[in-house]
Amino acid sequence: MSDGTRRDSGVPVSIPDSSIFPLLWVVARKQVVLLLRYPLSTLSRFLTMLIFFLVVFFGGQAVAGPAITDTLDGIIVGFFLFTLAITAYSGLAWNVTREAQWGTLERLFMSPYGFGTVMGVKAAINVCLSFLWGAALLFAMMGISGRWLTFDVVTVVPLAALTVASVIGIGFCFAGLALVYKRLENLFQLVQFGFVPLIAAPVGGLEWLKLFPVAHGSYLTRVAMSDGVRLWELPASELAILTVVSVAYLLAGYYCFVLASRKARREGLLGHY
Amino acid sequence: MTRSDGPGREAGPPAIRLDGLRKTFGSGENAVTAVDDVSFEIERGTVVGLLGPNGAGKTTTIKSLLGLIVPDAGTVEIDGIDVHSQPTRAYDRVGAMLEGARNVYWRLTVRENLAFFAGLGGDSPSTVSGRHDALLEQFGLADRAETVVNELSRGMKQKVSLASTLARDVDVVFMDEPTLGLDVETSLELRAEIRRLADRDDVTILVSSHDMDVIEDICDHVLVLENGRVVADDEVDALLDVFRSQEYRIEVDDVLPAAARTRLETAVDAEWTAKRDDRRRTTISFTATGSDEFYDVIDVLREHDLPLRDVESVTPDLEDVFLELTAEDGQRSTAESPADSSSPARPSRDGEPARDGGAEPARDAGEELERGDRR
Repeated sequence: MSDGTRRDSGVPVSIPDSSIFPLLWVVARKQVVLLLRYPLSTLSRFLTMLIFFLVVFFGGQAVAGPAITDTLDGIIVGFFLFTLAITAYSGLAWNVTREAQWGTLERLFMSPYGFGTVMGVKAAINVCLSFLWGAALLFAMMGISGRWLTFDVVTVVPLAALTVASVIGIGFCFAGLALVYKRLENLFQLVQFGFVPLIAAPVGGLEWLKLFPVAHGSYLTRVAMSDGVRLWELPASELAILTVVSVAYLLAGYYCFVLASRKARREGLLGHY
Repeated sequence: MTRSDGPGREAGPPAIRLDGLRKTFGSGENAVTAVDDVSFEIERGTVVGLLGPNGAGKTTTIKSLLGLIVPDAGTVEIDGIDVHSQPTRAYDRVGAMLEGARNVYWRLTVRENLAFFAGLGGDSPSTVSGRHDALLEQFGLADRAETVVNELSRGMKQKVSLASTLARDVDVVFMDEPTLGLDVETSLELRAEIRRLADRDDVTILVSSHDMDVIEDICDHVLVLENGRVVADDEVDALLDVFRSQEYRIEVDDVLPAAARTRLETAVDAEWTAKRDDRRRTTISFTATGSDEFYDVIDVLREHDLPLRDVESVTPDLEDVFLELTAEDGQRSTAESPADSSSPARPSRDGEPARDGGAEPARDAGEELERGDRR
């Protein structure tokens, strides 16, 4: 990060890398190391989601019989997106609380990359890793249910990424609140459950629901995976609305985060827990 | 890792410059002014101690220096860079160990922590792996490099925290209570490391601690804060010199005759008190600025054949100086007024009540007290 010329003692110094790659590398490595070092924790999260799906699927079959297959596509895609959304959201909101508990939050703030960039990179890495989990869960769900959906990477990844972008915005917003108000665990949980109706929102029938986070992206992903529609086959206007809405939530959330971190610094709350 | 004062080293701006820092928390009746017009400069390659009683404004000062608290007024510069207007440039030069053993990731290994914080600072871990090896060796962590931090002792965790702060090349390091909770041996090791960083690597270090031994041991310079203001800003030795007034206690196995008292009053150029107890012993206590007063007293005692039982000398240390500077009874002497040092209003180190001018000790039953004060 530094210019590399300021040392004047004529002795060996590290050669700083001016790119963002060192940050990306260490954040990604940390996440992967923790996933592998604590497999039980990782596996339990995966199994929880899978068991939840099994309950819905077999419970639904018992109650609704073959009619469950009418909504099965939506359930599978919904679980897939819910996994992505929860990981992206908790990677920011919950993470700020934990970093404050660990005493590492102020160190993240003092990064030469800037606090926002560090948190953004953490969120991005989280989302990338959550794609692996989401995909694993997706194929497990398709295998169990016997309902195989179209998984065109070029279509699904951009749509899911745009869907999750709005969640990252919400995550930034609540991470900002956590900087100032700290113990917000109950609120965080409520917000997590709020993603369920957003993912299942009937956007096809109610146009104005497209303005909500997650809802429109979830709808388009469902269409793409159920009907095998490719990204370029979707109406450009729909993609434009999704992009604008998602980016707007992302920017608004980030702005809230910046405002909150300013307030935390003004009031000496950064790092307090 | 190794840096030294090479011939090409140029004088630049001070490593840290603080000018007119002011910060108030809350508003109205609940407003608390944490720091009020604090200014100082710290030269490169020095270790500076930041002292002050609880609530003096140390944490607010350090966090303002690091941009973690936005001040109401004042400017903060590190290596000539304004921390609040160009924080990311300033952070490129700064490392901070703010919460001792707590501010590393306990689920990562020692080496992984070093790599993470190097990357967080912008250094590619692969380019600084040699530096990390040197740090691990230096801090005695080499054989625990692959151990998860959670499994280490508190002292080791603290060392990991310091090592991770130095995981990349920084010019200025802030440390808040770096030796808190450490055993004596580990504390001494850590002090040696801190001193070595400044002496060998030319790192500027600001240390906040309540442990006066640590400050006296490793610091070149001391800043004392009280009620949000700087009450002393001087070199450790200079501060000790200002308050240098050797105290002696001489116990003799007899009652002090009137003639001896008169001789002490006329001949000894020192403040003194004589205390006689039930066992016909007399303790003569006096404060002297040099050796002459001591020899004068001994001469008087010899003239009157008073057998010496015990001689004790008490040298003031940084803790005495600190207590003197932060005394809240309105009789504070400051480093800027050394003339006042002859009449300190300070509690002693062993918890006796504050003494005034003639060093009046507590009077117990059966004791007589005499006092001579020639100044």
